Amino acid sequence: MQEFEHIQSLWDTHKVEVKISSDEMLRQSKKEVNSIRLKSLLNLAGMVFSFLAITSIWTFYDVQSWATHAGLTIIITSIGVYTFLMYQGHKLIANNDFTIHPKAFLENLKLYQINRYSLYNKLYWIYTVALSIGLILCFFEMLARLEVWIQYVVVLFSFAWVIFCSALVRKVAMKREKERIALLIEKFERLSTQFKD
Amino acid sequence: MAQKDQLFKQIFDTNSKKIFHLCYGYTGDADAANDLLQETFLKVWQNLDKFKNKSLISTWIYRIAVNTCLTYLRSEKRQAKDELTENIIESRAEEYSEKNEQIALLYKSISKLEENDRLIITMVLDELPYAEIAEISGISEGNLRVKIHRIKQRLTEIYNQHARI
Repeated sequence: MQEFEHIQSLWDTHKVEVKISSDEMLRQSKKEVNSIRLKSLLNLAGMVFSFLAITSIWTFYDVQSWATHAGLTIIITSIGVYTFLMYQGHKLIANNDFTIHPKAFLENLKLYQINRYSLYNKLYWIYTVALSIGLILCFFEMLARLEVWIQYVVVLFSFAWVIFCSALVRKVAMKREKERIALLIEKFERLSTQFKD
Repeated sequence: MAQKDQLFKQIFDTNSKKIFHLCYGYTGDADAANDLLQETFLKVWQNLDKFKNKSLISTWIYRIAVNTCLTYLRSEKRQAKDELTENIIESRAEEYSEKNEQIALLYKSISKLEENDRLIITMVLDELPYAEIAEISGISEGNLRVKIHRIKQRLTEIYNQHARI
């Protein structure tokens, strides 16, 4: 039969080691936010790259048909507008340090979540339809010089890719990002609810 | 800003060990305790400007840690406390010794207590003055003494029960 003094002595002998420094702790807490920022930045970089790539086709390819001009205009405009909307979302989380302005950061994170949601839903479909129309218009001239079987392959591959991105990639990306942002929001809400100025 | 950083580091170095032990006592799991420690000090960092010196800074930090512990497990829907203590026993299997077994048993016994009691006994074991525990837990000192007496009895009882098995 042991007494409480024995329990006290056990507690005292169990030495705990804090393996994190104050600097490391703050850095780690910021890491999650930084990874969302980085992902958003990479998305933007990808969009800018696509914009430049399509623009260079227009510059270097000797476009003859009005349909190709119209197609490229639609594609470039869609990419430009979508990139701009993405940038608006990125700005919400880019210029805010949650350790300095936690409440403002939390608000912006919620706005960012809404922004991403609309980018992956209604806007995504508008973007996909616009890209498809643009592609169809471009194909008239660009594929005309190729053999028929290659034309079929290119058309099939292009639209299979669009369907794959819209049906699978979009859903997976949306689900992952939603969970990630929701977790962050939950964490920051838990942090801020404890304090009422 | 540099002054705040400096102050924070000083506060962290002085209090982190005790807060970690409190969290460890509450969760019975080193990783969860580490998460709670981080969350506690993140709150400290964010709210350092709001600290009004009405109480000791350690009391303020303990109160944050206690609230963090109480909300953390509920909202995270973490593993049941029994599973957590199993983790301790497993992780200590390699460095098996009678002492370690007793320590694992102690955490297992603490985990059998009510949530609030777990936190109070952890502070008692950390030898915090009763007045401070009363302020942190929001219980009058008189009631706290009675409560602590009961928790000590209950913990000893649970510990002895498990030790016999």
